Amino acid sequence: MPARLISNQELLSRRILAIDDEETNVLLLANVLDREGYRDVHCLTNPEQALEMYIKLSPDLVLLDLMMPKVDGFQLLEAFSRHDQPDEFRPVLVLTADTTLQTRRRALALGAKDFVAKPFDVIEVALRISNLLETRILYERLRQG
Amino acid sequence: MPAAKSGWAITSYWTDRPLAFKGLVVVALPLGILFGALISLYLASNAESRAEDDVRRAFAIQRDTYQVHALLAEAAAGVRGYVLTSQSRFLEPYRKAEAELPATMTRLDAEIRDAEVRQRFERIRQATVRKREGLKKIVALAGSPAVRSSNALAIEEALISNKIVLDGMRREIENIQRRERVLLDQRQAKVDEVRNRFLLLTAISAMIGLLGSLAAVYLFSTGIVRRVRTLEHNAELLARGEALTPMPDDADEIGTLGQRMDRASALLRAREQALRESEERFRLVIEGVRDYGIFVLDPDGIVVSWNFGAERIKGWMAEEILGQHFSRFYPEETQTYLPSQMLERASEAGTAEDEGWRVRKDGSRFWANVVITALYDDRGDLRGFAKVTRDMTERRRSEEALRIAREEAVAASLAKSEFLSRTSHELRTPLSAILGFGQLLELDEEQFSPRHQEAVHQIMKAGRHLLSLINDLLDISSIEAGGTEVSIEDVDMSELLQEVHAFASPIVASAGLQFVLELPAPDLLAQADRRRATQVVLNLVANAAKYNRSGSMVRLSCRPINDMVQVLVEDDGDGIDVSDIPRLFTPFDRLGQQTRAKVEGTGLGLALSKRLVESMHGEIGFDAREKGACFWFTLPVAKAIKEDENSCQPD
Repeated sequence: MPARLISNQELLSRRILAIDDEETNVLLLANVLDREGYRDVHCLTNPEQALEMYIKLSPDLVLLDLMMPKVDGFQLLEAFSRHDQPDEFRPVLVLTADTTLQTRRRALALGAKDFVAKPFDVIEVALRISNLLETRILYERLRQG
Repeated sequence: MPAAKSGWAITSYWTDRPLAFKGLVVVALPLGILFGALISLYLASNAESRAEDDVRRAFAIQRDTYQVHALLAEAAAGVRGYVLTSQSRFLEPYRKAEAELPATMTRLDAEIRDAEVRQRFERIRQATVRKREGLKKIVALAGSPAVRSSNALAIEEALISNKIVLDGMRREIENIQRRERVLLDQRQAKVDEVRNRFLLLTAISAMIGLLGSLAAVYLFSTGIVRRVRTLEHNAELLARGEALTPMPDDADEIGTLGQRMDRASALLRAREQALRESEERFRLVIEGVRDYGIFVLDPDGIVVSWNFGAERIKGWMAEEILGQHFSRFYPEETQTYLPSQMLERASEAGTAEDEGWRVRKDGSRFWANVVITALYDDRGDLRGFAKVTRDMTERRRSEEALRIAREEAVAASLAKSEFLSRTSHELRTPLSAILGFGQLLELDEEQFSPRHQEAVHQIMKAGRHLLSLINDLLDISSIEAGGTEVSIEDVDMSELLQEVHAFASPIVASAGLQFVLELPAPDLLAQADRRRATQVVLNLVANAAKYNRSGSMVRLSCRPINDMVQVLVEDDGDGIDVSDIPRLFTPFDRLGQQTRAKVEGTGLGLALSKRLVESMHGEIGFDAREKGACFWFTLPVAKAIKEDENSCQPD
């Protein structure tokens, strides 16, 4: 493990919102995060509540599935970026079973900061999550000056 | 016959003369006859005047002879009186006779023509001379009384002889008178004869003149008028296009004209015949055409001709439809505007084409292809329209069927892609949970018993196999559905091989094999999709590493062959059974599954590689080696670039 700029404590205290219509997937993510030691994890299986929760919880990181009924991930990505301030860095990690190039491009173009194909490697996902949170924290520090 | 022949010859000779000649003859003939009559008239009047002259002369001779006699008789009487009386006044007649006689004699001499009369006149002249001498002697004797008495006897004698002379003379004169009377009668008769002959001649002249005129009229008629009339009649026949009345081959202008007209007529009829035949042929062709409805419309759109094809396609017989407007072939919805619009377009552009529904006689509809062509005459006036109609119902039906089939195929293909994409998603989602939780268990495996550890391991192995199956299946399907783009570019093969070598080295190494890389010349370029080409090479190398259990190495190389670039992946393993070679590139056919149960694989790798190579216009294949296997594939060489480079670097 390379030396981190941010303490493990600070990283693990950050708030994470996981959105997936499949309860099993949300459960898996919760397990992975719990195993890593994250303490402020929120899970959501109803995408219709996603924006509301996003605003209410104001998470540091969002784990988002793309293919969902009624409101899909792309719509949520748009809604999130509309809601956020332009100078805010609030990363979204997209997790999807649709691995086509078009989908990846579209998600990234809509503001997703990273992309992981399902099924995913548990360790890889954990690493990407910590990297994204680290970037956010560093960004916050930069802004606070 | 010879007479008739000569008659015919004359007629033919006459008709053959030029018109100028005929005109001359026709005018000259009566004129000549008139002239002849005049000459004969002149001659006759001459003869008459001559005869009258003769008569006058006869009278004059009679008169003069009487005068001679009278003068001499009176002179003799006077002389006798003088002798008796000696009075000189009795000598008066004698002197008168002496004075007038010579002139009278001379006149008579000039008048007399007849020989007999001349003979008597000569005797009279001598008698006259004697008489005058006698009288002169008497006068001389009786000149003085003295003398007279002495000469009484002589005088007596002289008187007597004188009297004899005079008597003789009187007889001669009487003879002459008689002769002249005879002559006068003769001449009078001659005058009458001449006059009669003159009358006859005049009558004959008149007759001949009349006949000549008739002849001229006849000649004029036969030679000109009748034939001109025939000619005129023929001209009329020619104008009507009928057969001409035959005309003899006369050599004059009319004859020539007639012959020319005849030739013109023949030519015209020949042309007409040819035209009629051609028209007939054309008509037969048009009428015989079965599959095309061909008919003609007048400028207003009224049907004026109808062929068998039209009858067959539209159901109307010619006699039912001729004279009707063509708009009745159109269905209700287009009837009001389309027919007139079509004619307008045709007359503007020369032709108009349309495809659409038309109506048959029985009301049924058919899909027609219609071409309307405007017909113009030489002067550019619109004469009507030719309309060609084809029944395209069958073709339209099959086209429709084809279109539907195509749409269905496309829809099916789309549905397949959609299905695959969904299936893949639906399979991946639970798999995601299985592999995710499995991995979590694996991470905590020190907490499990060895049996449980093995169970987790098997779950993970099966799960990963399932995942690679799903991935390969999805790849093949998306290539088959044409869902993935192929972006062909010039790929440096040396570079590509080095990339693969770097990437696959751990796999080959983990199989305990040596990875040999033989690089081609650095300028060897292929036309390929870089990502796909890489995928194929990786696939082949991974296979070689996977299946080479007995050998020691995997060799990757590349070389140009003609227009292609060939990539070879060789190994020195067990190779492949000859019987298995045909099934190498078939999906799900994992070779030697019984013996190689331990080798992981989906059985889709080679099938996928084959499709990828083919999508780049290349070939994939397998060559058996004495020991081991050789898989190869080809890609088109990038020629243009190479040539460009050569031209850029001549030295």
